[in-house]
Amino acid sequence: MGSRRIAIINGPNLNMLGRREVGIYGEKNLDQICDEIRHEGEKYDISLDFFQSNVEGFIVDYIHSCVGKVRGIVINAGAFTHYSIALRDAISAVRLPVVEVHISNIYKREAFRHVSFIAPVCLGQICGFGSYSYILGLRALMETLDEADREC
Amino acid sequence: MKKILVISGPNLNLPDTGETSTYKESSLEEIHVRLKKKAAELGMEVDCEQYNSEGDIIDRIQQVPGTYAGVVLNAGALAHYSYSLRDAIGTMRVPCVEVFMSNVHAGEEFRHKSVVAEVCVGTISGFGAHSYVLALEALANLT
Repeated sequence: MGSRRIAIINGPNLNMLGRREVGIYGEKNLDQICDEIRHEGEKYDISLDFFQSNVEGFIVDYIHSCVGKVRGIVINAGAFTHYSIALRDAISAVRLPVVEVHISNIYKREAFRHVSFIAPVCLGQICGFGSYSYILGLRALMETLDEADREC
Repeated sequence: MKKILVISGPNLNLPDTGETSTYKESSLEEIHVRLKKKAAELGMEVDCEQYNSEGDIIDRIQQVPGTYAGVVLNAGALAHYSYSLRDAIGTMRVPCVEVFMSNVHAGEEFRHKSVVAEVCVGTISGFGAHSYVLALEALANLT
């Protein structure tokens, strides 16, 4: 197991991937996507913790529990992205590097999805590349962590 | 070999102001060197260009079909108001990835909205020079 732990968090309805609006989200289910992320993770000296919940409070609890345990987070907060101030506050509170990802291009969709409440407290945002958004998100996070470690 | 055009917009030629100031490591020239290296690794070829004029970028975007398989675009401030750039991208039917070095959502409110995002495959923002590299990887992954 790697020395650095990274948390991969998925929000509401992402457990339905592969069955839900496949035209938007693709045909892969969440387990398949997690396997792809695991495969990418093998390139780095890391271990990955996966968490998915449909409950906003559980995600807040989980983010709090990351303090002291993980080095960074890749999060697809699903629809919570667009309205959960509690999630934003949790991310801001833990002071961990967080990368926001989305499977779909949220800017091509309904206007309410164009705003992300969590984006200002994240390192950055990656959206529109299908399940590959998670892979790019993990790479972005690792680049940031490697850079921070080099500066130490 | 897949050929990709990387375009950077206004003020991105300046080393110490605007977006680049957040990222001390990279001048645009250094980013271009990094992109050429990454492209070679991915079996692609890149042309890297920078323009301060909106019309110059539109001219280049119009020349993309038939020459390039994809575009990486850091439109700089134009992203937030250039409908003509949006129209040019929307017309070309070649995948375009929007990138920003800074986290545009953490800055001034007028930067939170991109008028080009909707006509791009996707957006990558907040990772400094690495945003460009990730965009190249995203294009390499598109079938």
